[in-house]
This record gives sequence, structure tokens and C-alpha cells, in this order.
Amino acid sequence: MTDTVTTTSLSKWFGPKVAVSEVTIGFGPGVTGLLGPNGAGKTTLMRVVAGLQRPSQGEVSVLGENPRKTPAIYKQMALVPEDEAIYERLTARQFITLAAQLARVSDPEANTRRVLETVDLVDSADRRLEGFSKGMRQRAKVAAALVSDPEVLLLDEPLNGADPVQRAALIKLFGELGSAGRTVIVSSHVLAEVERMAGRVVAMVDGRLAAVGSVEAIRAAMTDRPRQVFVECSDPRALAAGLIESDGVVGLHVSEGQLRIEASDAGAVALALPALALSKDVSITRLEPSDESLESVFRYLVEAR
Amino acid sequence: MILVVHLYKRLMRKGRVISLLALASVPGLVFWLAGFDADPASQEALYSDILAGAGYSYAIAVLILTVATLREERDGGTLPYIYMRPIPRVTLAAWSIVAGIAAALTIALGGWLATVLSTWAVGADLSITLPGLSLFVAAAVGYAAIFVPLGYLLPRSLLVGLGYIIVIESILARAVSGLAQFSIWRISLSIYADLAPVFGTEATEILEPVSSGVGGGVLKLTATLALGMITLTLALQRRDAL
Repeated sequence: MTDTVTTTSLSKWFGPKVAVSEVTIGFGPGVTGLLGPNGAGKTTLMRVVAGLQRPSQGEVSVLGENPRKTPAIYKQMALVPEDEAIYERLTARQFITLAAQLARVSDPEANTRRVLETVDLVDSADRRLEGFSKGMRQRAKVAAALVSDPEVLLLDEPLNGADPVQRAALIKLFGELGSAGRTVIVSSHVLAEVERMAGRVVAMVDGRLAAVGSVEAIRAAMTDRPRQVFVECSDPRALAAGLIESDGVVGLHVSEGQLRIEASDAGAVALALPALALSKDVSITRLEPSDESLESVFRYLVEAR
Repeated sequence: MILVVHLYKRLMRKGRVISLLALASVPGLVFWLAGFDADPASQEALYSDILAGAGYSYAIAVLILTVATLREERDGGTLPYIYMRPIPRVTLAAWSIVAGIAAALTIALGGWLATVLSTWAVGADLSITLPGLSLFVAAAVGYAAIFVPLGYLLPRSLLVGLGYIIVIESILARAVSGLAQFSIWRISLSIYADLAPVFGTEATEILEPVSSGVGGGVLKLTATLALGMITLTLALQRRDAL
């Protein structure tokens, strides 16, 4: 699928500090999760892509245009900034209507009503934003971004402060937008949520790209790391004794009722386990990979740096 | 126009407007205090002298107001909400300056009305206040044209602006004739001097080497506006918008 947002050798530095370094990447329709620890350069990358900051080096293209040079692109691109900053004295309705009017949306009032419903803020629409909780402010910001029905949506930590119900609703909303062919780039430090909403992950560490792809693909590509398999069974010592000589097993950790296997070929180990358990008369109650989650993958990437 | 209304409303917060109106009313207050003792024949000259001297308080009020036009958006983190819109940068710059001018004109009107009230209170002829309006309006336009871009560009724009008004306009411009040509206050006074003949001789001393004249003053203000527009447009295009 064609990329709608691309960066080419993009760097951004502030004096001696390099925030983003030589990032070349493309984002297409669907939801992409942007991950990284604090200071990784996620927010700077978002801001440069949004045209709020000038690249120190390299290029940004959004729908074929440079946002710094073509403000018209903002009819098709919106950002939900990470900052809590918002027009405190406006009501949610006024804030979103203002966004619609400045974006030259036809029928701003009707579109404001539409997005207020989308983010479930209808009941609070005429309250001043200064009285809003953090989660409600986030939803108001998301609504203001959605009011122009953008092709490209940049969301910098959009779930901050939202309660679990709101988080679930927003994740569902972003997923729907991605499925509808919009390019949705979401940065979040809540890895589990990114895993839930993004089909593709871009991991950044120290301003550089650490990995790009699906969680499974990134994990599979990390061949230098043994895969971990977690086993819950009746006799982990017996199972470990049987496995110790097996090909592909590089480590075994036994604890009460549990066995953690480190294997260079986890598939082979998984296939060998049932026969071994039968022969040793061990009953297995649980068997699962323990480091396939985004959190594990991300921890490896950070440690690798 | 949506942007102008938004920026104008943001600038005109009640507390700020009240305090700036008070500051802009200083010339009116001074005239009220001094005007009682003046004989009717000299009241017009006194009015002009006070406007030319105490009017700096109005200039400071306009400075405080207009530097905030985009600086507040920047400092408050809300600039992306107006920057990331399909608005050409030159239009964004123009509307921002227009909003600054509109806000400054509101304060100008208040400052001028204070002089009208004090003129009425001391029993002087109200017609002497009419040319005074031109001074307030010209200064509003001129100062907004330089202070709106300054506010966007510099975090400490208020200090820089105060330095311009106090050090350059009121001190250095008296000594260095070249600097006087770039004084918004003198340009505004040159327009006023042309409309208030009684201010004539006095004006020559204050304005020198700037000569009085509505045409020349308006031309200089137009050039200042153009310069402010170009500066702000370039800043919006080339600087980080955060």
C-alpha cells in the first residue's frame, strides 16, 4: 500500500542534543504504533511530521506535500498534541467549532455535533474546558482533530488520563479509522494498548529507529535472542532433565511448578515437549511463549542499544 | 476573520483590559489634575503637552497587550491549534496583526475617552480632544505592527519592547536623530501635530528631526505595517511553531 507519510533521512537536533537521527520511514493507511522510552524522540518526530518543527536535516512528506511549505495540507492532517494545553475558557463545543471553522469545514456546527457524539462528550459539550478532567480534555482534543475528517491523524499519547472505558472506546475508534483507510500514527508508552490498536509498530530508541513491523515479525527477526517458553506442569525438574540435552535448548529455569525454557528454536521444543511429558509422566497445564508481548520485544530493543 | 475574533477575545480578558485601560488613561488623569489650574487659553496647549509626555503610559499598555497576541498561544502550548490549519502563513500573519491592532484600538478608545472626560471635567473646550484620537489610533497601529511579530519571535518580548519604548524612544531618540525616524511615538505625534495646530511650536522641539504631517506619518506607519507583516510571515514559515 502506498505510504501517505514519509520521512527521508530526517534529523532534528536542539543545540548539541540530537532528538531524531536519520529516520527514514513510511506510514500508510491503518494504525501504526510509535513506541519508545522517554526521550526516544517520538514527540519530536510527530511534531516534525506535523510541520510544527523544522527538520534540521532530511525531508518530510505528507500526502506528497511538505507541511512546512503547504499549509493547505492541514485540511487533511490533524494532530492531537501530548501537552495538556487547551483553551481553558472555551467550552468543548466552542473549542471544536473553532477548530472546524479554522479548518474551513463545511457546516462546522453539524460536524461539531458529530464528533462530540463520537468521543462521547455530548453531555459536557457546553461546559468550559477548564473544568474538564485530563481524560475529557484528551477526548475534546481528539474531537477537534477529527472534526475535519483528516486523512492523516497524528496522536501523541492520546490515551493519557482516560479511564478504562474511555480508553477502550478510543482504541476502538482509532482502529475503525485505520480500517477505514486513514493513516493513524499513535504514540503511547502503554505498550499493551499499542499492541491492541496497532497492526504495525515503529520502535524508537535514542532518536533512531530500532525496529519496524508487526510485533511477531520484530520478535522473529531478533534471531540473536533465545525465545522463552513458559511451562506450568506437575514436575518441572523431570521435564527439565529430559530437555537438557535437547537441540535448541540454551537455558532452563526451574521454580515451583514452573519451568522457563530458553530456546534458539522454540518451535522444535514445543513439538518435542508432549512426547517428553508423556514419557516422564508429567502433566502440562500451561504452555505459552513468555516473551512475545510488545513489552518484551521493546525491552530487548532498548537493551540492545 | 474567525482567527481575528479568536485572538481578539483571548487578548481582551476582563482583568487585563481593566488594568490596561487604567494605564492608558494616565494622560487623561494627568490633564484632569493639571487642567483645573490652567487658564482656558492655555488648556489646549496643556492638553497636547500632556498627551505627548504622559502618552508613553499608553504606549506601554499597547505593548503589554499586543506582544501577547501570539506569545500567549506559544507559551500556553495552544499555537498548534491555530498553526496547523489550512491558512497561508501570510494570512495568518495578517490576521494576527489585525487582531493586535483591534485590541490596541479598544485600549486607544478608552485612553482617548479618558482625556475627553477629563477635558469635560475641567470645563475645557471638548473640541481640543478630537485631534488626540489620531495620536491614539496611529500609535495603536504602529506599535501593534512591531510588537505582534516581536511577541511571536522572542520569549522576553515584553522586556525588549519596554527597552524600545523607554530607552530608544524616550531617551536615545532625543539624542540620536537617526533613531527618531524609527520611533512609532514620534511618527504618531507627527500626525497629531498636523491636526492640532496649537501643538505646532512645541511639536517641532519634541519631534525633531521628524517633521509633522499626516501624509508622511501615514506612509511611515504603512511601511511599518508592511515590515511587521513580512517579519511575522517569515517567522511563521521558518521558525519552529512551538
